[in-house]
Amino acid sequence: MIQTVKTPTKKRKIKGDSVWGYTFIAVALLVFAMFTAYPVVSAFIISFQEYKPLGSTFVGIENYKETFASELFWKSIKNTVVYTVLTVPVALFLSFAVAIMIIPFKKWLQTTFKAVYYLPAVASGVALSVVWLWIYDPMKTGIFNRVISIFGIENQNWLGSSATAMLSLVIMSWLSSHGTSIIIYLAALLGIDNSYYEAAELDGANFFQKLWYIVVPFLKPTTLFLLVTGVIGSFQVFQNAYLMTGGGPDHATTMVGLLIFNNAFTYFEFGQASAQSLVLALIIAVISLIQFKFLGNDVEY
Amino acid sequence: MKKRLHVLALIMAVTMALTTLAACGSSNNNGGSATNNPSSTNSGTKEPAKDTITALLPPVSGNFQSNFEQMEKDFNELYPHLTLKIEPASWEDMTQKLDTQVNAGSPPDIAFIGSGGISKYLQQGMLMDIKDVVTDEMKNDFDQIPYDYMAYEGGQYGFPAYMEVHALGGNKQFLEDAGIDWKGVQENGWTYDEFRKAIQAGVVKNADGSTRYGFVFATAGVASKDYLGILAKSAGMPYYFDQDMKYTYTSQNFLNLLTAVRDMIDDGSMPKELSSVDAGKRWNMFLTGQTMITGKGLATFENSANLNNAKIKANDGSAVAGSIEAEYIVLPVPAFFGNDFVPNTVVDGYVTFRGKKEPTQEHKENVAKAAYFLASGKVAAQTNNDLFSAHITASAKEAAKSMEVNRMPENVVAVENMLAQAVPNRTDIPVDKAAAAIKIETEVIVPKLQALLANEITPQDMYDAVKAAAIKTFGEDGIVVD
Repeated sequence: MIQTVKTPTKKRKIKGDSVWGYTFIAVALLVFAMFTAYPVVSAFIISFQEYKPLGSTFVGIENYKETFASELFWKSIKNTVVYTVLTVPVALFLSFAVAIMIIPFKKWLQTTFKAVYYLPAVASGVALSVVWLWIYDPMKTGIFNRVISIFGIENQNWLGSSATAMLSLVIMSWLSSHGTSIIIYLAALLGIDNSYYEAAELDGANFFQKLWYIVVPFLKPTTLFLLVTGVIGSFQVFQNAYLMTGGGPDHATTMVGLLIFNNAFTYFEFGQASAQSLVLALIIAVISLIQFKFLGNDVEY
Repeated sequence: MKKRLHVLALIMAVTMALTTLAACGSSNNNGGSATNNPSSTNSGTKEPAKDTITALLPPVSGNFQSNFEQMEKDFNELYPHLTLKIEPASWEDMTQKLDTQVNAGSPPDIAFIGSGGISKYLQQGMLMDIKDVVTDEMKNDFDQIPYDYMAYEGGQYGFPAYMEVHALGGNKQFLEDAGIDWKGVQENGWTYDEFRKAIQAGVVKNADGSTRYGFVFATAGVASKDYLGILAKSAGMPYYFDQDMKYTYTSQNFLNLLTAVRDMIDDGSMPKELSSVDAGKRWNMFLTGQTMITGKGLATFENSANLNNAKIKANDGSAVAGSIEAEYIVLPVPAFFGNDFVPNTVVDGYVTFRGKKEPTQEHKENVAKAAYFLASGKVAAQTNNDLFSAHITASAKEAAKSMEVNRMPENVVAVENMLAQAVPNRTDIPVDKAAAAIKIETEVIVPKLQALLANEITPQDMYDAVKAAAIKTFGEDGIVVD
């Protein structure tokens, strides 16, 4: 009796559309399992080992203990937080401002501006860094140094001095790619119904009142999304410091991403690097959670 | 129709999945492990088994990579049962490619790296000791000192390609204008005091407000390590460890050297922006007449200067912008505080690696043959001539007799003099101690030196930081105290 009930259920499952669904997501699932899930699990295991290609040894929580006791790790976390605080809000403000300035234009001009602002995102980060290295030339002939010499300021050792190295990376971030954020903001701005602006105009609202009472609330989900992804991206920043300063001088620009890279690929300390990346992942998760908790309460998607 | 679409989509999905898997699969098949098992032939015959040797090689000289096909062909003619498969890599990619392959357990059989990297890979257990398969004929072909740079704790991990001296380079005209007897310096060397007076005399304020410095050394980023290391050799610290295996960078000599490094900037002989001057920048400064002496200097720089001079003469637009004709003079590093001059020599070469599987004796022999082929004879003669490097094998010296090189005879003699004073490699330093010293170098010495050059800390601050790190790593008894 039981068997007669079970058999049709099985048949229904296999014959149903769901089998096609599972088949199609199999590719994505397989890629995810191989290139995301497996490395994460592998990193978790390696974080308890002293990694050697010919056979690793289990060392317990030694890598985590060393990470938390390392002054350099905390310094790199501090540098990363400073970099994030200085870059992410400014990037959001700039993207928002540019999007607001572009939106009144005709479509073809909007598209042109979108393409212009998106262009750096397509360019190679390495090529951009080389250009910035040239801009930050420490000699009197350097571009930035020529600019500040107009105001009578002496030439600065931009990337070679602890006082200016972090600032130089921050300026580079401010003036670099905001294309993606601008496009996302523009899409969100186009989604706001005109009737809100018309009603506000009838009430005699000026530009800034419309901005504050209509645009900002409507763009809150977009801002939250860009803030969360921006903070995550900023915590993982690696390329700028690696190419521009190498983390120097005196570790003034060593970000946690660069520290992990150095531990793994310069010292071959994969165990410690894995432990540090998992700690970093945890930090990012906690910060994202806080952002959603405090800023995402009244956001509807 | 709907069903057809399903089937089509499924085919596409499976194709994508298989492509991904195939990509992963093929990467596992490459590298050392596959080549470690030469296919065996009929056991009844004595014919040697076929084998493939893989090599990861950067552009060692300008023409090096364009000769790969010829090298593979020549090797195969010499050993018909062996195939040499060379994978080219740029200098930028070399370390990353090799490190990835090493850590995946499937490195190439041979890679071109500096002898300084041997301890790092040895600690990973991924180097192949070829000592027992090197024939006397191979060994006797090499000069002893460079040959020993490829040895570590009793093992031999490949063959050297060349031994270079990291020296200084001067602009002949500027040296003579400053009243420096460069020929005398090439022959007899100089002390730090003599050197300091010379670089002070080399400073010239130009009419347009710019400065020609007496001395500019590339120190940006990791190059700062070279700067200090090269000077330290002639300041009584030829190695990180003395004969009693005590860490030397805690001696009074080290503090004095750091003070000298700062003094040369403070008196205006070197630019105050020195900490941001990289290798490209200082070479540009040399060619454009912004410095009298530059470092580090390699023999091949004479070739670069000659090429640029020829372009200026021919009015060729590809000459370095703003450059002047400059005759390159090889100069030794000064000797500091009454210590002997010790040239900083680097030996790069063909290092032998192993995969996860234990290599067979036959494969080891084949790898040794391939490494020897690359490091000697015609290949070495051509490469070292391109680099203006001295030949370190008898076979390369012989092969080079018929090749012409356009070098200043005084420079040839100066380099040979310095090479003759090269100190042998220390093979007695344990791998873990060498690795610990490298960690102090990267985590403390390089960052603090950057800060010292940028005038953010004093020589005493840097000395204290290095000493504290050394005591933490090697203990109070493991460091030099004087």
